Amino acid sequence: MQKAKENIMHVVFLVSACISVIAVITICVFLFINGIPAIGEIGVFDFLLGKSWKPLENQFGIFPMIVGSLYVTAGAILTGVPIGLLCAVYMAKFCPKKLYKILKPAIELMAGIPSIVYGFFGLMVIVPFMQDCTGTGKSMLTASVLLGVMILPTIIGVAESAIRAVPESYYEGSLALGATSERSVFFATLPAAKTGIMSGVILGIGRAVGETMAVVMVCGNQSILPERITSGVRTLTANIVLEMGYAADLHRDALIATAVVLFVFILLMNTLFSVLKSRSKN
Amino acid sequence: MKTKRIAQAGIAVMMTAAILTGCGSANTAITVISREDGSGTRGAFTELMGIAVDDVDNTVATAEISNSTSVVMQSVAGNTNAIGYISLGSLNDDVKAVSVDGIAATVENVSNGTYNVARPFNIATKEELSELASDFVTFIMSADGQAIIEEEGYIKASENGAYTPAGLEGTIVVAGSTSVAPVMEVLADAYKALNTGVTIEIQQTGSSAGMTSAIEGACDIGMASREVKESEIAEGLIPTVIAMDGIAVIVNNENEIDNLTSEQIMNIYTGTVTDWSEVK
Repeated sequence: MQKAKENIMHVVFLVSACISVIAVITICVFLFINGIPAIGEIGVFDFLLGKSWKPLENQFGIFPMIVGSLYVTAGAILTGVPIGLLCAVYMAKFCPKKLYKILKPAIELMAGIPSIVYGFFGLMVIVPFMQDCTGTGKSMLTASVLLGVMILPTIIGVAESAIRAVPESYYEGSLALGATSERSVFFATLPAAKTGIMSGVILGIGRAVGETMAVVMVCGNQSILPERITSGVRTLTANIVLEMGYAADLHRDALIATAVVLFVFILLMNTLFSVLKSRSKN
Repeated sequence: MKTKRIAQAGIAVMMTAAILTGCGSANTAITVISREDGSGTRGAFTELMGIAVDDVDNTVATAEISNSTSVVMQSVAGNTNAIGYISLGSLNDDVKAVSVDGIAATVENVSNGTYNVARPFNIATKEELSELASDFVTFIMSADGQAIIEEEGYIKASENGAYTPAGLEGTIVVAGSTSVAPVMEVLADAYKALNTGVTIEIQQTGSSAGMTSAIEGACDIGMASREVKESEIAEGLIPTVIAMDGIAVIVNNENEIDNLTSEQIMNIYTGTVTDWSEVK
């Protein structure tokens, strides 16, 4: 009887484990079956390196979108990572208990806000502000700032727990050697939490690359190679969501092919993440 | 220690103030706002304005692209230098519609043919349509349905007589264009009031997705804010024009311009004219 129960539960767990794997495989298969023939039809180089995206004239070059995604993500890292990291240090090491009780739930709430709400906030508040400051409201800069804010909770959450996981003895040892409290935190505790902080940053990048609804409202969506930081850009995700509703035939397949490229991007990111993790373990 | 804190706070305040005061320079470069490739509104607008010639869309590459009417309106409302275009039925006081060649963008001017920036709203059905769905189509094309279409700010496309409820029951699924959906919802409510046993489900998926669903049988009626393509008709769809919709060219309420010629609009959208001072 006990044995039978054990076996049943064993199967239940196995099935649960399999469902997520099956979901990933199904998505992969769907993307590649629909996307690869389109890439073949357009031509790999014309597709990946083509600078002109005019689907109605059969020009399907997504190079501007690839560059756009990379720029916007880089911008998000530049604005989000320093703030997130310093915030995590403050939360873990310097924050008074009373303030922490307010800060922690506030940051958790930030993570829970739907991205469309961030997008709407960006459109109503950041865009007019940037309009006055730089002359163009919807730009790479606006998208970078908004994404920088959006990835904060991810970075702060992971980095904070990484810093907290460092044994207190590191900090105390550093103090005992005569370092100040700040110096001990930044030069003893922080380096020890490097791996955890790195995972936080990479998770943040993953969110920034995949973010769609917020970006599409504030980045301008021009399918051109950006010349200035105030130029509008279109990201890979924006390209898909913008045109999916009206696309037909090869245009539709080209959008799925765009998703394939995005998928490969995320795959590379995750591989990089695992490599970094395993290397730091050694 | 305390002086240091105060100094820090002072620097923070000064930096914020510097950022805020640095803004607000006068700038009259036109921000062109367009819709995404494949949008029914964009297709009709570029063709009517001579921006697209021989199926080549010459919209300037630096035009901002928005994928919904509401985002276009919000962008124009928030930017004094912006120009955009939306369905006439969606127009409200947040933005200002300019006259084209001296003709105001109103329902009367569209229906009497003087304001010619207009496009058809289509529905598409398969041949083997359920009795209920075809009764709904009859309602839309009847005098009652067309009256609702006019009330909503669109132009009627049929002169059929009044509708008599057939007393059917069941569910109709309608899917497609986000531009057609608002008026379809009003039509559905009116139809449900006449036929109490009916449920109508409206999905806003975009014209192409709506046509695909209609072909695949995932919905009874597909909606398109563009002409139904040859390839879609070949798959067995029968298009019906249910209304005409004007396209309003909109600018910010603070913009002094009230009238643009279609040539000026074409020049703005193809990037020949880039500053408001050139069209004053």
